[in-house]
Amino acid sequence: MAVEVRIPTVFRKFTGGSGAVEVQPGTVGSLFEQLETRYPDLRGQVRTPDGQLHRFVNVYVNDEDARYLEKLETKVTEGDTVSILPSVAGGQA
Amino acid sequence: MSEAGDAKEPTETLILPAEITDEMIDHCRAGRPNEACGILASQDGDMVKVFRMTNATLSPLRYSLDPKEQFAVYRAIEGRGWELGAVFHSHTHTEAYPSPTDVRLASEDVPYLIVSLADEPPSVRAFRILKANWTDQEGEIKEVSVSVLR
Repeated sequence: MAVEVRIPTVFRKFTGGSGAVEVQPGTVGSLFEQLETRYPDLRGQVRTPDGQLHRFVNVYVNDEDARYLEKLETKVTEGDTVSILPSVAGGQA
Repeated sequence: MSEAGDAKEPTETLILPAEITDEMIDHCRAGRPNEACGILASQDGDMVKVFRMTNATLSPLRYSLDPKEQFAVYRAIEGRGWELGAVFHSHTHTEAYPSPTDVRLASEDVPYLIVSLADEPPSVRAFRILKANWTDQEGEIKEVSVSVLR
């Protein structure tokens, strides 16, 4: 069994429209490496050029915010679900 | 030229059931003096539910979804086989048109509905914010026609 990564609408143009992609277990960082290898245009979207999580992206491993776990070093095992969420914000000024 | 005149002509229509529209406006009114925000879930392109959400910024000028609440709502949407249909928020004192902040912070690839409480009754308009890269500071504003079914 693999790990399912939930893709938000903003990144689906890079995944051929897929809202869920399966990758191999590892760390959150290794999941993003797999995704970026498979979908090269995703590079720089979720992670900054120096490899850190973009500040406007939240990543959940199952029900937990990865920032409060071990961030990109958080371990992900078979059957886990990883969700990528862009922050949603704005306002009149 | 007015701000509204800068938006591309609509080629897409968002159909809103009256009860969805009314609940969205009600949530925006209830949030005053701060901006209010939320999400519409869709099923096969039809807007089916309003998720009233917390403005984590607690500001009359800005809004942001609380990440934990956003995650819970996305899970609920997926769990019911729905999709993210639209994001909405209110402008308490300005027109229903994306501000530079709205453009700069736009992320999800769905219509952004804006409810202007400066008008009575409140006006509701929708836009797509088109950016080459979602982190771009600027983007193209494309209006989406809103048709309320009453």
